[in-house]
Amino acid sequence: MKKLSMHEALNQALREEMHRDERVVLLGEEIGKYNGVHYVTRGLYAEFGKERVIDTPISEESFTGVGVGLAIMGMRPVVEMMRMDFSLRAMDQIYNHMAKIRYMSGGRLSVPMVLRGPEGPGPNPGLTAQHGQQLTVLFAHCPGLRVVSPSNQYDAKGMLKAAIRSDDPVVFLEPGPLNNKQGDVGEDDYLVPLDRGEVKHEGSDVSLIGYGASVALCLQAARDLEHDGVSAEVVDMRCLRPLDMGPALASVAKTNRAVVVEYAWQSYGPGAEIVARLMAEAFWNLDAPVTRVSGQEVPLPYAANLEELSKPQVADIVAQAKATLR
Amino acid sequence: MSVQPQPPISGAAGLTPRQLTHRLRQMLAIREFERLGEQCFRDGLIRGYYHSYAGQEAVGVGFLNALDLSRDYVVDHYRDHGHCLLLGLDPEQIFAELFGRATGVSKGKGGSMHMYSPERHFLGGDGIVGGGLSVACGVGLALKRRANDPICVCFFGDGALDTGTFHESMNLASLWSVPTLYVCINNLYSMGTRVEDHSSLSQLVDRAQGYGVKTEQVDGQDVFATTAAAERIYQYMRQTKRPYFVEALTYRYQGHGIHDKALNYRTEQEEAQWHSRDPIQLLAAHLITEKILSAQQIEDLRQQIVAELQAKVERAKQAPQPDDAELKQDVLA
Ligand SMILES: Cc1ncc(C[n+]2csc(CCOP(=O)(O)OP(=O)(O)O)c2C)c(N)n1
Ligand SMILES: [Mg+2]
Repeated sequence: MKKLSMHEALNQALREEMHRDERVVLLGEEIGKYNGVHYVTRGLYAEFGKERVIDTPISEESFTGVGVGLAIMGMRPVVEMMRMDFSLRAMDQIYNHMAKIRYMSGGRLSVPMVLRGPEGPGPNPGLTAQHGQQLTVLFAHCPGLRVVSPSNQYDAKGMLKAAIRSDDPVVFLEPGPLNNKQGDVGEDDYLVPLDRGEVKHEGSDVSLIGYGASVALCLQAARDLEHDGVSAEVVDMRCLRPLDMGPALASVAKTNRAVVVEYAWQSYGPGAEIVARLMAEAFWNLDAPVTRVSGQEVPLPYAANLEELSKPQVADIVAQAKATLR
Repeated sequence: MSVQPQPPISGAAGLTPRQLTHRLRQMLAIREFERLGEQCFRDGLIRGYYHSYAGQEAVGVGFLNALDLSRDYVVDHYRDHGHCLLLGLDPEQIFAELFGRATGVSKGKGGSMHMYSPERHFLGGDGIVGGGLSVACGVGLALKRRANDPICVCFFGDGALDTGTFHESMNLASLWSVPTLYVCINNLYSMGTRVEDHSSLSQLVDRAQGYGVKTEQVDGQDVFATTAAAERIYQYMRQTKRPYFVEALTYRYQGHGIHDKALNYRTEQEEAQWHSRDPIQLLAAHLITEKILSAQQIEDLRQQIVAELQAKVERAKQAPQPDDAELKQDVLA
């Protein structure tokens, strides 16, 4: 194990996969000569050259479509959105092409591509309304995509490698707030599966269920709860489509209580889906209503106090967890 | 390098000495505003993004002074501080927005890229490249229904030509005969990518051909050239209700944003070449030659502007943050 930042872990995954498989090519804005604004592709242009690390103009819709075209021709494109907000420009290619070509062709074609980029309010503050959105649900809603979001550096590397090797189109959502944060990363060639959630911290009184950047909030809340004599278990739902409910169901069978935590807007979001599944599949195990802590349903505001208020708060997770125990 | 700064500065575009002095004042104010703003960023007063307009002043000065703000409107991209100043927004309120204060032009909710002033007919900066282009077509279409032949001016960078919305907007504006002027501020770089590396044609004016829209290139360092072009183009647009496309050749002095030091993608030689045709210096030289102002008077003017702006920074710093209850205001009507 080695301490790496999230972007360094992702960079390692890309480098290893590019060495392993020459069909892997990268496309995106400022990813090559400029080395990537969030550093994920740093050094790769120098190492692999412009045929494999392709700098694109600001043409998100079309370079995503180019990714689809490369993929159906047997390449393994990894398309970067400088920020996931800009994928809104590419939604037609994502929804109507990337996600559907396999099905529409009766399984005769596949689209082994990865669309990746940072989402949510970070790494730095002040990203504001059009650059710091958490749009996870838009992808997770669409059949034909795999949608994953790692919560730590170790998973980030293993999951990105698995995503590149997958024969399916994968939307790989990098938690923006964690981009520069460090953690342990394996130095070997390991994969983390794209269809398995994981318990990140064991506990017995209440389950804190999150994905992506919200897992770090859950872990902090679990530490705070421990001081107050409450044992919280943290479940990382890192695979959102297909959604792996296994660890969450097992956890709730043990704790009988759950709080679902996300940066996203609450209404209709991934958290809503998780709660609905818990109601359907864990109803008889629950001793309290499942509650939620989410981002406020407003565009990301600029002012420091408003920005902070708009994000899910650890104190609220703690309070909600305790409320389920009353 | 395909695009070279063009040498001499043209006539005086029929401007009186007073008007010339006013324009110099405006350019100095933008330059000094950005200098102070970047300092405030480094001091931790501003967060997130900061895109400086320093170096590009003559574009805004030419195209915005020639507008008639009793009827015309402006749609902008994220590099918007200079345009806000030219449209008469109070620098104190712009600083307050940059500091995230309740007295900011957008109540502290928008930040650097999202200044708005409906009163001054400024319909916003925009953080999405090319995002304003179709909006500006809609604004132009609405204006066309009004008396007085109003027009809309839309600013964006060379990078925006690579978006689909640019081409769709040009087609719509021409098809429906919309009085919107598209001003492409070609500062040679889209973030760290040179025009030749992001555009199939490096003469961007050529990429606006094919829609039946009149186009031209203008020297964006030369305030007389931008002024003359603006006046001529606005007259044409008011008469014909047609769109128009301008490529203004200029250079941004700072990196793309405050975090970009512009070190690895442009040469010192290139920077020096553009600084040697600095838009403020060119106008100042003219004013000195014509004995309208002396070098000392210009320096005094600059210092007076700095002092005024500094006072505004101090007042903006004293302004309160938005009330917490503002968080949920303004989401819906
Ligand atoms: C749709 C979209 N894609 C990418 C970005 C990120 N981005 C912001 S500005 C920029 C470069 C734009 O350059 P240009 O249009 O030339 O304007 P300039 O910054 O030079 O004024 C990029 C890639 C964005 N804001 N929106
Ligand atoms: Mg540019």
